[in-house]
Amino acid sequence: MKKIILFCLMNVMVFAWQVWAQEKQFTGSQILEKVDDVVNAPRDQELKIKLILIDKDNKEKIRELQMLQKDSDKRLAKFLSPADHKGIGTLSLPYDIMYLYLPAFKKVRRIASHVKNTKFAGTDFTYEDMEAKRYSEKWIPELLKRDENHYILQLKPKKDVKTDYSKLIMWVRADNFYPTRIEHYDRAGKLYKVMTREKIEKVGEYWISKESEMEDLKAKHKTKMIIVDAKFDSKLSDEIFTERYLSR
Amino acid sequence: MKKFAEIILKLRTVIIVTTVLVTLILGYFIKDLKINPDISSYLPKSDPVVKLFNYIGEEYGGNQLAIVALETDDVFNKETIERINYLTQEFKKVEGVSYVMSLVNVLDIRTDEEGTLQISQLIDEYNLPETPQDIQKLKNYTLSKDMYRGRLVSNDSKATLIICRLSEGADKIKTASNLKEIVKKSTVKEKVYYSGLPFQMMDISEIILNDLKFLIPIVSILIIISLFVSFLSIEGVLLPILSVSISTIWTLGIMSILKISLTAVSDIIPVILIAVGSAYSIHVISRFNEELLSTDGDRGKQSVKALSDVSIPVFLAAITTIAGFITFVIGSYLSMIREFGVFSSLGIFFVLIISLTFVPSVLSLLPNRTKIKSINGDIVKKKKVELIMDKIGEWVLKNEKVIITTGIIVVIIMCFGIPKIERRVNMLDYFKPGSPIRLTEEMMEKKFGGSIPIQILVKGDIQNPKVLKEMKKMEDFLESQKDIQNPQSVADLIEEMSDVMGEGKDIPDSKDKVSNLWFLLEGEEIMSQLVNPDKTEAVIQAIITNVDTKQIRKMVKNIEEYIKEVNNSDFNFAQTGMPAIYQHLDDSIVRSQIQSILLAIILVFVCLVFMLRSFIGGLIGLVPIVFTILVILGLMGYTGIPLDIATVLVGSISIGIGIDYSIHFISRFRKEFDSTKDELKALDKTLETTGKAIIINILTVTIGFLVLVFAELVPLRRFGILIAITMISSGGAAIILLPGIILLTKASFAGDFSHFMNKIKQKIT
Repeated sequence: MKKIILFCLMNVMVFAWQVWAQEKQFTGSQILEKVDDVVNAPRDQELKIKLILIDKDNKEKIRELQMLQKDSDKRLAKFLSPADHKGIGTLSLPYDIMYLYLPAFKKVRRIASHVKNTKFAGTDFTYEDMEAKRYSEKWIPELLKRDENHYILQLKPKKDVKTDYSKLIMWVRADNFYPTRIEHYDRAGKLYKVMTREKIEKVGEYWISKESEMEDLKAKHKTKMIIVDAKFDSKLSDEIFTERYLSR
Repeated sequence: MKKFAEIILKLRTVIIVTTVLVTLILGYFIKDLKINPDISSYLPKSDPVVKLFNYIGEEYGGNQLAIVALETDDVFNKETIERINYLTQEFKKVEGVSYVMSLVNVLDIRTDEEGTLQISQLIDEYNLPETPQDIQKLKNYTLSKDMYRGRLVSNDSKATLIICRLSEGADKIKTASNLKEIVKKSTVKEKVYYSGLPFQMMDISEIILNDLKFLIPIVSILIIISLFVSFLSIEGVLLPILSVSISTIWTLGIMSILKISLTAVSDIIPVILIAVGSAYSIHVISRFNEELLSTDGDRGKQSVKALSDVSIPVFLAAITTIAGFITFVIGSYLSMIREFGVFSSLGIFFVLIISLTFVPSVLSLLPNRTKIKSINGDIVKKKKVELIMDKIGEWVLKNEKVIITTGIIVVIIMCFGIPKIERRVNMLDYFKPGSPIRLTEEMMEKKFGGSIPIQILVKGDIQNPKVLKEMKKMEDFLESQKDIQNPQSVADLIEEMSDVMGEGKDIPDSKDKVSNLWFLLEGEEIMSQLVNPDKTEAVIQAIITNVDTKQIRKMVKNIEEYIKEVNNSDFNFAQTGMPAIYQHLDDSIVRSQIQSILLAIILVFVCLVFMLRSFIGGLIGLVPIVFTILVILGLMGYTGIPLDIATVLVGSISIGIGIDYSIHFISRFRKEFDSTKDELKALDKTLETTGKAIIINILTVTIGFLVLVFAELVPLRRFGILIAITMISSGGAAIILLPGIILLTKASFAGDFSHFMNKIKQKIT
């Protein structure tokens, strides 16, 4: 009997230790993996996005676009407004292949997307910020600390990774591993841009942020990205992610 | 006046202690005095040219360029490209720098072999070319494009530029020195040039400081020596220097308390105080010495007599000078000129106070030992000086007609020189040929067409092809001007884009196409330097060669005319940039100075008429001033010394000096004339006494300022020469011309017509 009790007790202790250890055990890499999984969870998505560009005098400019994404590396974006952008489309495919469609010229041209620090369509998002890569592919994480609701990670670029940032500091929600705030530091190590994600909601079975913002502290310019409409896993065909579809 | 003198001498201890205290307190505040060397900030903010200039600066990321040029055998080599990249990245981090453009990060629009459209930096900063083949390819491509050849890389590929645009309101000198620091700390092996206004301003401040450090001691020593030779006494040396120093300290201290910074104009206030103000105490000392020599007795009584005699002319001289300088306050366009007027007047007022209170207090307190010494000294000296003055007097008094004829001839000759005066606004003129800045600008001119930016602001619908085509035409027009290089605007980028889209290097004919192309440029760093966010305004940037002012004026005028011709309801061009600003500033300064000088002459004339109670007396009193101004202007015309911010100020100094000489001379003459009733005797005595003081003043200041000829900075040299000429000319006019004229007019201004009649009667009988 004593033995049984002892055995049970040991079991409980081992279990408790395991639980405790598991809780404690999340390394930076594990957290980042989970972040990637959460952010890239949908197999495909169909989003209607409103971009609000806010300059230093608080003047706003609005552009709307439709964005279709399949897996983490195929993405088609078409501008709906303003009038002078209407119909302009971009198509991103794996291996940094990118096409552009200009309706006034009725021409599709391949464009080089290797210039990461070019701003996308006047927003504060650079092509680097927009790329659909998993964080863990590019960054080496280090868990700085954990507060009540967040893990705070520091991400430093892996060797041979080309990036405009010297490091990122990322706040990750402890409950669902959704990143809520990412600080981007420039190569001088100065805080340069801050991305915040708000209105984190569950749509279907996926978490998304319906409102995110990127603020460029140097230019005193920010961009709000509002998801007006989101559909997931509607089995988008590969046909959509072709040059032909782009020019339609 | 006797009462005034008695009071002063009674309170002498209080006066000395108060003066010392006030000097210490105000001197303490000088530490906060700011210097503002940024010439472009001198124009009022409401000025239309400045408004446009500042507007472009604020909206388009700044309008000053600090340019670092690297020169080597061929900039297309691995190490140089690495260093350009390093400097580009480092410069971006410097506070006050809004944009950096170099071979590495310049926007490049092209299609590659597979027809892929590429809008990127010319060189990928993370992937610098390494192999000789890659570098050769880059070189061929770069040199094949107008956007880079002759703009970022010289045609011979020996030099390349890193261009930093300074944000509006940045501390230009500080930013420039930070940039220079980065280059110095790096491993640059190429020859480095620093070009553009911020670097030039930095150098000017350095050179001025070096000049002053080197020259001020020499000037001081020379002034001390010549004062000592003149007075042969310690107080004769110390008191003039002290009175000028104290009043300078008071003036600068008050400027500092009022938070008014020293400008390129007001920094000559100390010079004015030395030239004009030292004379006040010299006259006081010289009168004291005269009194101590001529009479025996109580030092106190002698002091009262001397002070009450000398204070009237000194007071009148100072008040008239102040009246002259106050004219700069009235109706001047530039606040810096108004400040100059106020504070030079204030300074002179201070010298006046000190010369009539502090100086006599100290003099009256001096023990007899000094007196004896000065008597002994002066007895030896007296013979020499008196001999000289006697000879001058003798000659002058016999040859008044020759003197006046010569004077008139000199004036006529000088008048012919005046139209030859050149106007120059080019800052490069400040530097000696062969100095690093001149060499840099010569290189910049040869390889890149210059370093001074000019801007044309375009208002209209910038995405409208018509407007873009008009901008392109404007650029062609600019390029057709001899001294304008490398015009650039968003129209060029649209043309490049159109080219890579396969539509030819031209502005597309529909707005849709333009806005499609625009989409790809949106967010590019360079766009914010070329177009406003609403696309209702754009800037055409160009570079001008450092040419002389005449050509710049012509260029500015040509552009103005072209703009007038093409502007219509669809779009509107307006020009600005440093040349326009600088020219405008120079015009305003010269104009307001000339106006003020004319006004000053009128005011001084009124004062003189009032003081002498004689219209003719007023005219005669003006002679040294007008004569000197004509001589200076004429000599400037003949010797090619241009009229600029620095040299135009000499006019005001010559007024200050001229009035003083006139008043001292005439008031002494009247006093002597009253007692002797003989103009010859009176003139003789005046020359011997006041004439001597004037000679001492001329000698001291002239020798001091001639030292400036050794200055590094050209304007300082010219300034020294012109002050020396001013001193000699107004002194000469006072000692030689004035007596001549007084003799010719038979001293009628003295008002003693009965004497005049008596004299005639005597001659008849």
